[in-house]
Amino acid sequence: MNRRHLVHAGGAGLFLLVACLAYTQNQTAPPELKVIKLHENLYEIEGDGSNVAVRVTNEGVILVDAKHERDHDALVAAVKSVTPQPIKYIFSTHYHEDHSGGNSKFAPTAEIISTLNTRISILEHKRPNDRQTGPNGVPAQLVFTDEMSVFLGGVEVRARFFGRGHTNGDAVIYFPDLKTVCLGDMMAGASPGVDYNGGGSLLELPKTLGKVLDAYDFDTVITGHGPLTNRASLVTYRENIVTLTTRAQAFVQQGKSQDELAKFMETEYKWAPNSIQQIQNVPGMMTELK
Amino acid sequence: MNRRHLVRLAAAGLFLFIAWIAWTQNQTAPAELKVNKVRDNLYEIEGDGGNVAVRITNEGVILVDDKYERDHDAIVAAIKSVTPQPVKYVFSTHYHEDHAGGNAKFLPTSEIISTKNARTSILEHKQLDASPNILPARVVFTEETSVFLGGAEVRAHYFGRGHTDGDAVIYFPDLKTIHTGDLMADTSDLRMGTSPTVDYRGGGSLLEYPKTIDKVLAAYDFDTVIPGHGPVTNRQGLATYRDNVVKLIARAQAFIRQGKSQAELARFMQTEYRWAPTSLPQQWSVPGMMTELK
Repeated sequence: MNRRHLVHAGGAGLFLLVACLAYTQNQTAPPELKVIKLHENLYEIEGDGSNVAVRVTNEGVILVDAKHERDHDALVAAVKSVTPQPIKYIFSTHYHEDHSGGNSKFAPTAEIISTLNTRISILEHKRPNDRQTGPNGVPAQLVFTDEMSVFLGGVEVRARFFGRGHTNGDAVIYFPDLKTVCLGDMMAGASPGVDYNGGGSLLELPKTLGKVLDAYDFDTVITGHGPLTNRASLVTYRENIVTLTTRAQAFVQQGKSQDELAKFMETEYKWAPNSIQQIQNVPGMMTELK
Repeated sequence: MNRRHLVRLAAAGLFLFIAWIAWTQNQTAPAELKVNKVRDNLYEIEGDGGNVAVRITNEGVILVDDKYERDHDAIVAAIKSVTPQPVKYVFSTHYHEDHAGGNAKFLPTSEIISTKNARTSILEHKQLDASPNILPARVVFTEETSVFLGGAEVRAHYFGRGHTDGDAVIYFPDLKTIHTGDLMADTSDLRMGTSPTVDYRGGGSLLEYPKTIDKVLAAYDFDTVIPGHGPVTNRQGLATYRDNVVKLIARAQAFIRQGKSQAELARFMQTEYRWAPTSLPQQWSVPGMMTELK
């Protein structure tokens, strides 16, 4: 073999090594999940995908949301680390894959419950493909329109649809005896996220949150993403949405273009150009706030 | 052994024999159940307790109501006679024992679903003559719920007060059939006639009754009606039943407003509607009617 061949072989080998490294980097295990205890028998699991709530009872476990399909084993292990009880019910807050992707793995052994609209949104693939990281979620077989409760081991977990917000099928989950609510992605960061294709509404979101505040006695709020928070912070968050909407609506009603609105939201609310708020909210806001 | 002893022994034996026969008579098997086909993959089971609907899908069976606890084995056998599929869900139309008594036997293997009020009524023992052992649904709804199984939908909706304050009307949309629970009940076989029974203790209302039925007629497209008791009927049958409720209200209200007493109302309902003196409508409805129809 002459020198040229060696160089070629070396180059090919190097290429293969780099390709192999790149491949294994993409096969990293999902980010670790972290279990936080809120109360005796109520936990929150953060990391990769949505926050998951875990209500432990002596007749089984009730989850709120199920993260991505890829998180299933880690999620089951996290629940096992706090209780030997089996997962019997899973309430889905809404149809997005980071909340309902895990349904496919849980459906054989747990009853998944969502609003009717959430089921429809999954079946009609309302989420654009570029926001999906895995297969479409499996919808709930058991759905409700207004309110549904599960009573297990002397405990009630209640789910209710209060109106449009993040989507048109957001379920708010309430643990009455623990004065805690799960808001799904109606609260998932400093800025609101509205999935217009999924039936969400920026104008309705603060009204819906207002109904939650009126209806339920709670101190603790489990958000769809991000840290635990409380009633006072929800009140503030809701007021901020009203302010944001008022300002954005005034701006849009001056006859501004979508690009101008995008820049306004970037300047005033730090919605980065490729952020989910820019992609998800801004086009729909142009229509809704006209 | 002398003759006196023999006579006494024979008498004792005869007594025991008669006692044994009396005991076995009280242990009669529940009335036989009869399976009627309503549609492809929809059956009705009548006999002993409320009518049960059986919706068969290729992923399991959904029942509406489960009769008395004593009927469990016969219900399971009746279902097995038409499908090998397991019972996955049971919708309860309301809390009365002849519709929900079987819950305890089905709960280990099936999800039972009812209105929230039906659960509360069971837990608070609102039906005084019911077994204290009835178990309520674990999964409850307020307005509407659906189960989607094997491509079929079974929907339950609370339309308002009537027989109780927790009546679920069950709809099989693809089969244009509803199950009304006791919002429509022909209980001629129980000597209660075809007039409505309002369980006031369980939150029912005679005045709301026809309005609730009207909402059902307006909301759902259906031809066939499975009532809580009595033969399968149709939309017109339900409309006629509703009209009869309106007439009953008008007549009873006029009577009460003449200043009649409860005993006089009781006699009126017995004469005009054949409500036998010790029947459920007399116990459950007459006192409440005095108040509601004033």
